Amino acid sequence: MYSLLPLLSIMVPLSIGFLHLILHPFWFLEHFFKRTHKTLLLFSAFLTLITVLSMVPYVLAGEVLEVPHLSLYVDSRNMAGLVGVALIFFLASIYNVEAEKGGRLKPTMYNFFLLLFLCCMLGLLLSHDLFGIFLFVELTIGVSVILVAHNPSKLSTEAAFKYLIITAVSALFVLLGVLIIFFLTGNTNLFDITSNPYIYARLVENPQLLMLAVACFIIGLGADIGIVPFHGWLPDVFPGSTIIINGFFCSEPIALILALYNLVAPFYKIYPSNVISALMVGLGLISMVFGALVAYPQRNFYRMLAYCSIDEFGHIIFVLGLLASPMSFVVGQYYLVNSALMKAGMILSLGSVFFKTGTADMKKLGGLLRKMDKTALSYIICAISLTGIPPLSGFYAKWLLYSVAYNFLLELGGTAIAVLSLVFLICISMVTFIFLLRSFHQIFMGQATETTKEAGEVHWAMWLPTIISAVSAVILGLQPQILLSLIGVA
Amino acid sequence: MEPIVIAALIASTIATLCGVFAKTTKQLIRLLAVQAATLGLVQLVLCLINLILGLGVEALVDFFATFAEWFAAAVISPLIIYWGMIKTKDVYDEPVINVGRVGLLLVVIVILSIVLSFFALRFLPEKINVLPFVALMFSISIFIIATRTDPLKILVGLNMAENALYPMFAESPLFIIPFILALMIFVNLVGVFIIVEAYHDYGDLSVKAWRLSE
Repeated sequence: MYSLLPLLSIMVPLSIGFLHLILHPFWFLEHFFKRTHKTLLLFSAFLTLITVLSMVPYVLAGEVLEVPHLSLYVDSRNMAGLVGVALIFFLASIYNVEAEKGGRLKPTMYNFFLLLFLCCMLGLLLSHDLFGIFLFVELTIGVSVILVAHNPSKLSTEAAFKYLIITAVSALFVLLGVLIIFFLTGNTNLFDITSNPYIYARLVENPQLLMLAVACFIIGLGADIGIVPFHGWLPDVFPGSTIIINGFFCSEPIALILALYNLVAPFYKIYPSNVISALMVGLGLISMVFGALVAYPQRNFYRMLAYCSIDEFGHIIFVLGLLASPMSFVVGQYYLVNSALMKAGMILSLGSVFFKTGTADMKKLGGLLRKMDKTALSYIICAISLTGIPPLSGFYAKWLLYSVAYNFLLELGGTAIAVLSLVFLICISMVTFIFLLRSFHQIFMGQATETTKEAGEVHWAMWLPTIISAVSAVILGLQPQILLSLIGVA
Repeated sequence: MEPIVIAALIASTIATLCGVFAKTTKQLIRLLAVQAATLGLVQLVLCLINLILGLGVEALVDFFATFAEWFAAAVISPLIIYWGMIKTKDVYDEPVINVGRVGLLLVVIVILSIVLSFFALRFLPEKINVLPFVALMFSISIFIIATRTDPLKILVGLNMAENALYPMFAESPLFIIPFILALMIFVNLVGVFIIVEAYHDYGDLSVKAWRLSE
């Protein structure tokens, strides 16, 4: 069905962002923007969320909303991702009202880059054009780098530079992959490539080049996402960014991981090579083991969360890599959106701790349970949901993941391999559970320390988004079909 | 491939190779300009000939697109990095591993590329038979990024890697070129902005020193 709603969802943040950019040179408006920029950002995020939500009834009715000449499509394959991105961005915008204390960027530029960031993530989810995806990936990363550098601390510039170089090189891999596919097919629209037998015959004739292109996509987007071994920037970016920018970044993996799937899955359909599947599953497994084991000894809670994110990305890439399984995409999407929402709750909660105490060193923290009760509650709910404890949403995500992995491996290698893999996945989840529970103990339990004795609960605008994340963990745990229906599972 | 194209690709590969041994940032920026200029020159001349012979609107648009691409890669990007150097300093340094090993590794990269090209050319469609050269230049550029500690030199290496893909843009649709150029310039501006800010923060222009001072 032809609809302008997909285009509108990109244009809302983009046009308000450009309005900020145009008004930036007018110095007499600076004072006005200093007072209103947070409200303007919140308003823009709300408007975008409403636009995205207005597409939900159509998708639930089985419609495909499209702007064909721009290759923008909305259906059950990207609806959950769109809602996840817009919702997390909106929650972070509420948090931003009290948490943002200024940095290297002026308020107008800060708003411009944040809204451009939102626009690029939505564009990345909506676009089914190879060049469109490349442009949105590169823009998302470029804007993210600037947002990292916004933090006035010394750490941010080194982190931003590392982030820039790793992701700019990775973007070249994506470009190389796009160019190879374009040279082989003469087309850039993913739907045309997969549906036209004449076009995909040309891809099948050149399997080596097709594999090279897919490998380029996995390496390129893998580095942007932060999966092992391309994760070098991630543990530096979390401590290097401001607490609120970390909150906004929680929505980024949804767009990037779904873009990776969009780039890999169509070519797997055309040339179903086990190498593609093995590459994704292998990288996923390495990431989850590495992430969980390295997160365990961390003292800095931001670094711990960075490695925990790598662990989570590993789970998602692992399940999305089971390309032959018909349920892998559904489960991958569910896990991805849930994990991003929970991580947003945890990062914003820990941001509040950092905001009040000025440290991310867990050894210097303690006794915050009574002083920051709402923050502590939301942190522990999101953390145990992420590890898969019932009846929270994470339990359902893990359960689905285990069942897909078990059934897939049962067919592939028999009962022994399937059971062993299941035990392995449960062990990884237990490691995650242990270090997250220990972090809660170190930060919130015990006696107050020198650093925490003056701390108190943050402003409601900072605890409200974290509580919403925690409530969503409970609701999605009890009613998982809310999210599953968006993904297209009846 | 026509001999003139091979000559241009060899010239730009040599310019990239020289970049590995460049000592000052200024030298490396010059080599970047030379690499980009030689890479785009053949395409630019071909478009100019088409324009003179054909005198069509399509040929004119083609020429302007190619010229914009060439100008951005060979002039604007080096100038942005040069501006960053003026704002900071021209660092005199060498690769972090000694020159002998650098030479040895480069020889290995070149031999591997030649061997790979020999096999690759058999299955590559004619349109992308420049891929072995692209891969070689790309590898050398990544080598520059990996063996330098001066962030401006790393940024030049990144640009060289980006330019290495230039021969593959020749067949890409015209509408994509302005976006790619804008992105190229945007990444350079962001890079230079971060380097200048970091130089003010740390008082030094070495990623190793930045890491140690944390």
